[in-house]
Amino acid sequence: MLKLLLPGLLCTVAEKVLNPVIGMDPDAHTRLNRLQGKQFAVRLRGIPLRLVFTAQQNGIWLNSHDEPVDCSISADLSALQQLSDPSQLTRLIREDKLQIDGDLQTLQQFSQFFQQLNPDWQERLSIYLGDAMAHKATNGIQLLQRSIRQYLQQSDHNLRELAQDELRLTPVAAEVQQFSQDVSAVAARTELLQRQLAGLLSQSRAFA
Amino acid sequence: MSEQQHSGTQDSTHFGFKTVARDEKVSMVANVFHSVAAKYDVMNDLMSLGIHRLWKRFTIDCSGVRPGQKVLDLAGGTGDLTALFSRRVGPTGQVILADINESMLNVGKDKLRDLGLVNNISYVQANAEALPFADNSFDIITIAFGLRNVTDKDAALRSMFRVLKPGGRLLVLEFSKPTEAWLSKVYDLYSFKLLPAMGQLVANDRESYQYLAESIRMHPDQDTLKQMMQQAGFAETSYHNLTGGIVALHRGYKF
Repeated sequence: MLKLLLPGLLCTVAEKVLNPVIGMDPDAHTRLNRLQGKQFAVRLRGIPLRLVFTAQQNGIWLNSHDEPVDCSISADLSALQQLSDPSQLTRLIREDKLQIDGDLQTLQQFSQFFQQLNPDWQERLSIYLGDAMAHKATNGIQLLQRSIRQYLQQSDHNLRELAQDELRLTPVAAEVQQFSQDVSAVAARTELLQRQLAGLLSQSRAFA
Repeated sequence: MSEQQHSGTQDSTHFGFKTVARDEKVSMVANVFHSVAAKYDVMNDLMSLGIHRLWKRFTIDCSGVRPGQKVLDLAGGTGDLTALFSRRVGPTGQVILADINESMLNVGKDKLRDLGLVNNISYVQANAEALPFADNSFDIITIAFGLRNVTDKDAALRSMFRVLKPGGRLLVLEFSKPTEAWLSKVYDLYSFKLLPAMGQLVANDRESYQYLAESIRMHPDQDTLKQMMQQAGFAETSYHNLTGGIVALHRGYKF
């Protein structure tokens, strides 16, 4: 009963989060001016939803529809995460993980805008907490972020070592490479053997 | 219910469940909206539990609005749709908020100014049956929760068709007929018992909200309105039932 209304709810929430964040970046509006009037659409494969971003001087406004826009992409989530690296575009398109319709420059401009978004959290927090507390809180959050990132990297490293070296559950990269080479060699020898067998068979038929 | 039943006879029409002279209806509807204007937004949120915002969002989605377009928000009242359109058409576009009722227009004007939306919005007090705009003026026309209050709906649809550009689209968001019998019963109970009581409690105005419930029942159902749009000249007409048909969004194109 509410299925048609869910995209609207999602767009409302996204706008309520995104535009205040844009408002916290003092340089964002200058960059938005360059995008003004452009529309960009994203369709995530497997999800029946197409989000349309309309850039205006006062923010980015979201809708969900199938109308033509300046640039439209259809991608899976993993491909979307790699869009920040322009050198990956050709590979993603070739592997059919990304489909782009329309003006590529619009896609790059939107992508650049989101990457360069740098909200001044400290300034906003200082309104509620005062300058000193806001500074301490921001430093604390940054420290926490670094610690979490380090912890995740360390856990990833430890888990890999445990699975590869201690428990021998998964092979290391060199082993995988060696295995692939072995498989290729066996395939080549099998093919050669097949050809030799075929030759012998035709010879035996000729003698008979 | 036939179109004739919806529009009344040549001299009379409906005002809720009452039959009144056609000339009288305009002033009676005007009195209702003069009375409810100040509390209109609060009551909308209360009555629909905020869902009217999602119905309006869906209307914007179906409009396919683009930067630079010219939009007419007819019977736009307190300007919810105007605000959504204004942000999307940007400085190169234009939104005209039109309403026959001066009180509603003033509330809308104040609200939009408070939101900082001033550059691309114009305000016009206008009757939907005789729109004061040139032919082929607008890319999009919307009328949300307004058509049922218009005395001559066919004339209003013809007028909208005239001012719409070829290729433009009309969106009519309006209360309609629930598609499920159980929902219809619950909705009747809500509209005729709870709604007037809420109107009395919050806006100190029981009669206006009694009229609201009655006018919804007298409004054409989904298929009748679709037919009326086709008769006015609109092509590729279609509708979406929202919240089980309590509200329907009709869309038609001018080609």
